[in-house]
Amino acid sequence: MSFWSLMMADLKSILTDKAIAVTIFGGVLFYSVLYPLPYLNEVPTKQQIVVIDGDHSSLSRQVIRHINASPKLDVVSELATIEQGQHWIESGKAHGLMVIPDGFRRDLIRQEGVTLAYAGDANYFLIYSAVIEGLMSVGIDAGKYVQFNGLLARGNSAEQVKHDLEPIKLNSVPAFNPSLGYTPYVVPGVLLLVLHQTMLIGIGILGAGQWGREGYWNRASVMQLILARSMVFALLYSLFTCFYVGFCNYWYGVSVQGDMLQVMLFLIPFILSTAMAGVAFSCLFVRRDLPTQVLLLISMPILFLSGFIWPLELIPAPLIGLSQLIPAVPSIQGLLQLNQMGASWTDIVHLWWQLWALALGYLLLAYVGVRYRLNSAVAH
Amino acid sequence: MSFRQLLQRELNALWHEPWQLALISYIPLIGIFSLWWLFNAGLPRELPVAIVDQDKSQLSRMLVRQLQANAVISPIHYQDVGSAKASMEKAETYAVVVLPFQLNRDLLTGHQPIIDIRYNAQYLLVGKLLSSQIQLSLADGLKHKALIKQLASGVPMAQAKVNINPVQTQISALYNANSNYIVFLLPPVLLALGQLLAMLVFANSLNRELRLNTLQEWFSLGTRRVLFAKILVYTPLIVLQGRLILTLLYQYLGLPLAGQFGQLLLAQVVMLLAVWLLVLTIFFLLQDSARVISFCTALFAPAFPFMGITFPTQEMPLLAQWWRLLMPSSHYIDTHVGVVSYGQSFSAFTQQIVSYWGFLFLIPIIVFLARKVKRDTQVVLSKTQCSEVN
Repeated sequence: MSFWSLMMADLKSILTDKAIAVTIFGGVLFYSVLYPLPYLNEVPTKQQIVVIDGDHSSLSRQVIRHINASPKLDVVSELATIEQGQHWIESGKAHGLMVIPDGFRRDLIRQEGVTLAYAGDANYFLIYSAVIEGLMSVGIDAGKYVQFNGLLARGNSAEQVKHDLEPIKLNSVPAFNPSLGYTPYVVPGVLLLVLHQTMLIGIGILGAGQWGREGYWNRASVMQLILARSMVFALLYSLFTCFYVGFCNYWYGVSVQGDMLQVMLFLIPFILSTAMAGVAFSCLFVRRDLPTQVLLLISMPILFLSGFIWPLELIPAPLIGLSQLIPAVPSIQGLLQLNQMGASWTDIVHLWWQLWALALGYLLLAYVGVRYRLNSAVAH
Repeated sequence: MSFRQLLQRELNALWHEPWQLALISYIPLIGIFSLWWLFNAGLPRELPVAIVDQDKSQLSRMLVRQLQANAVISPIHYQDVGSAKASMEKAETYAVVVLPFQLNRDLLTGHQPIIDIRYNAQYLLVGKLLSSQIQLSLADGLKHKALIKQLASGVPMAQAKVNINPVQTQISALYNANSNYIVFLLPPVLLALGQLLAMLVFANSLNRELRLNTLQEWFSLGTRRVLFAKILVYTPLIVLQGRLILTLLYQYLGLPLAGQFGQLLLAQVVMLLAVWLLVLTIFFLLQDSARVISFCTALFAPAFPFMGITFPTQEMPLLAQWWRLLMPSSHYIDTHVGVVSYGQSFSAFTQQIVSYWGFLFLIPIIVFLARKVKRDTQVVLSKTQCSEVN
């Protein structure tokens, strides 16, 4: 059987097998919409908070107006006690509260320190940080406003007062994801994982359905079969990868800094090592419903091990070591650095070589596995 | 066959299926343990931050010491901005702080110097945390400097402190006092894992009837009775896993728990019934083991982002909020947070149970599909019998 007809036979069994076709074509399309879907609004805005105003002064009312003016916050009610506020949080009507103490304005004007208390529902970190950041900036502004007026009243010039209040400016700017959006944060990594998982599942189902049966796969040499199969999937997935890394990144507004040729060069061993790993992986199964289950269960750990959600510094070393054998992990790390963070080729070239090494390693494993599967079929 | 024999039939099937046994025994254990191990650090600590000290003055060194004193930050010195930037691009450091040339001099002569901070927002979680921590540490150091200035001009200590910081703040992270990521992330992650395992176990149990061609046997034993036997065998087994997760989180690790386990276990049973309904619908619709698994996987795999813990529900677009309602785990997580954090009452719990009403519509669909499958298997059977007679 020629190499070309072997590839065509593989392609035909992929397209005519509903389970595989649905997984790789349907899955790739479906997930490109579904995974980014919850994050399309990017940042939490207008979080509901309640204010417990014990002061009822012009300044406390001004603080409340400032809270309402903040894009992150929205005052939904003014309550009398902290217990009421907590009750609002527990019933989900608010996510944070601010307590303005009695004598807030008076104490500030008399230059006696006051304490503003903020609380946020830390069950939801994104809400919590929005609430606290919003309230902090409002509180700091209120203090500055009083200081500003006080210093002006003592005859300092406005220019000088501004200076005195902020002798050094801290200019903190987000890099690589300037809008701090959630989609640009999640999309590049997760979509690459989707490619990895669906390709492994597709090859897994294909192999598991063939071992132990008679068919075109028995009429080729082991190496030919492995190469033809990984070539077919690699070609299909080159298209999917172009769709994800090209179109989806653009569509979801992910900032892209990489050079296109370098990104393509980097993704070649990703696709090849995943395809080889898929063929090796498929030899573990003879039941078509099992490969999906195994990969489903390890999807979440792989995502967390790729280091952009939970910092690698905090992950135990044995888990990191193990994760380096999974093509998705170095690929996500490398692609994020190359394409999103603008690292140079020399910075990530070790990951590129690692992927080639993985491709070679999995090719050997695939050889052992496929030979075993084909020989045991002949023996029966 | 008595109902007891039907239960035995299920247990027997379970016993003869190694993968299924694995799914209810060691795989959950490995999964729970490795995810816990992964997040074991709980609080982000000693994250590398690149420091470029161009001033090399007493002031700049004091600020670096301030950063060093912060448990979250681990400062690493770089000689120039270029190499610091490169380290951030390689994800070796998560932020860059540039202490500019003549920082001290500009401060003393009243020119407002600027300290530049750049943080990696591609790694959003780490970046945001570092941005706020770096600013806190530096602001604290600068306050110290301002305090000395006030003291030098003859202001008494108590007054000087108030002058510098007239508005003190007291921040409380409700229900998770030290912003621990184990409290925040581990329950929903383990819940997502548990839901996947439940879905797989039930789908495998149904698929086995397909694979071994025992659908006919199932229908002749009574469609509903066999189904009840399956539910009765697998629901307690999965709730046991849920109990194990609760034990790990709230008893072994001792995370804060305001309510009682009873409500949570009851909520898990209801969640599992909803999962069973979804799996049954897909099973009777597709009638092919690999496709049933693929379809269920597609449906359940992205359950985690839709729970609304990492990204708030009310900020999701409407379509995502609808999709969220399809996931039993998103209904359960509301109860979980309610019980664990707010110690909610039983009446709140009943309201949450009512939110599952949409799943009831699956029952007539399942009945309809099951009847169709039953008819088809009988047609196939009678055909084979006919051909045998001929």
